[in-house]
Amino acid sequence: MRAGRGRPAPSSLAERAPRVEVAGFVFRVTGLAASDRVWVTERFAPFVSRRAPTVTVAVAATERYRRGRVPRPLATWRNGHFALASHPSRATGDLAGQRVRFSVGPGPALNPDLFRMLCGFLLAQAGGVLLHASAVVVRGRAWVFSGPSGSGKTTIAQLAGNRLVLNDETIALRPGRRAYTAHATPFYGSGGPAMARANRRAPLRGLCFLRKADRFSHRRLSPAETVARAFPEVMLPKRDARVAAELLGALAALAERTPAYDLAFAPRAELWEYLDELD
Amino acid sequence: MNWTEMDWAEAFPLRRSVPWRTLDTEALVVDVKSGLLYPLNSVGARIWELCDGARSVDDIVGVVAGEFAAPEATIRADTVEFIERLADAKLVSIERRRKGESR
Repeated sequence: MRAGRGRPAPSSLAERAPRVEVAGFVFRVTGLAASDRVWVTERFAPFVSRRAPTVTVAVAATERYRRGRVPRPLATWRNGHFALASHPSRATGDLAGQRVRFSVGPGPALNPDLFRMLCGFLLAQAGGVLLHASAVVVRGRAWVFSGPSGSGKTTIAQLAGNRLVLNDETIALRPGRRAYTAHATPFYGSGGPAMARANRRAPLRGLCFLRKADRFSHRRLSPAETVARAFPEVMLPKRDARVAAELLGALAALAERTPAYDLAFAPRAELWEYLDELD
Repeated sequence: MNWTEMDWAEAFPLRRSVPWRTLDTEALVVDVKSGLLYPLNSVGARIWELCDGARSVDDIVGVVAGEFAAPEATIRADTVEFIERLADAKLVSIERRRKGESR
């Protein structure tokens, strides 16, 4: 059952086509029922935007149930057309036409998993990546902490104190003229909505690939090691050769311009002093 | 014929068409069927580059032995094992033909 369905739609929240901004991309979401518009507006509240849309996402509900096959995420890209799938939803579109068709099955009207994949795909097209990572802004620059589930991303976000947390689960990295920028996203992890309270960004200070430990230690990673550690954490299916090649190029560029570390850490606030002393 | 019986002068490994790139002296190879990335160290990267279908395993061993400081027997054993692993992962195919025969 869709969240938001059956609830009244306050006029201020039920605009015809809500716009959601992630990492500079503004998605105008059309085709939603009033209750789903409210749900989208509430779920992505800090990221609701009034800026001109970059991409129109046309949502069509297909309350169809298919059985008999194991679903797996999919991303393909041919001649400017792309297809993304995250069961039970699909997105297809043409980037030149700046229009995406979103077919959703039972569940949220704007399937967050698929929406996240769409953001990852657009970022990859722009030379960036959507990374399974948390990020904390320290003195105006973002430390990004990546690793598989259980490696400590949310733990570190919860150690942030008064520092700005961009997210505890999903961070967008976009290349700029001089350096990369880390962007907040609405795709939070076990820390919940508190970890995605503001649509903020900061220049990237460095990347840390996490290991939990009893004491702090670190090792600087080579660019190749950085790509190898980041590749599995990029939120995009990698079974399409062109998508994988694009991603490999984006990660190589990131790794060559960004200091990256293997970081063993203990869940203590002295983490921030330790990071200050990294080279 | 299995791996141990193969004549390495007549075995020509060829990289499959998968995304890959070198960074410094290392290489990163993506297996798009599994969605996995294989990081290769400098020796592995060099062997990967040499798997062009024109060089036999013996040729590759000769090139690697000329570029890296190690006993040739060690390089041969390691190179054969490495190419076997690439073949097991379906990242290279091995063509058998006599030296000088066209592909």
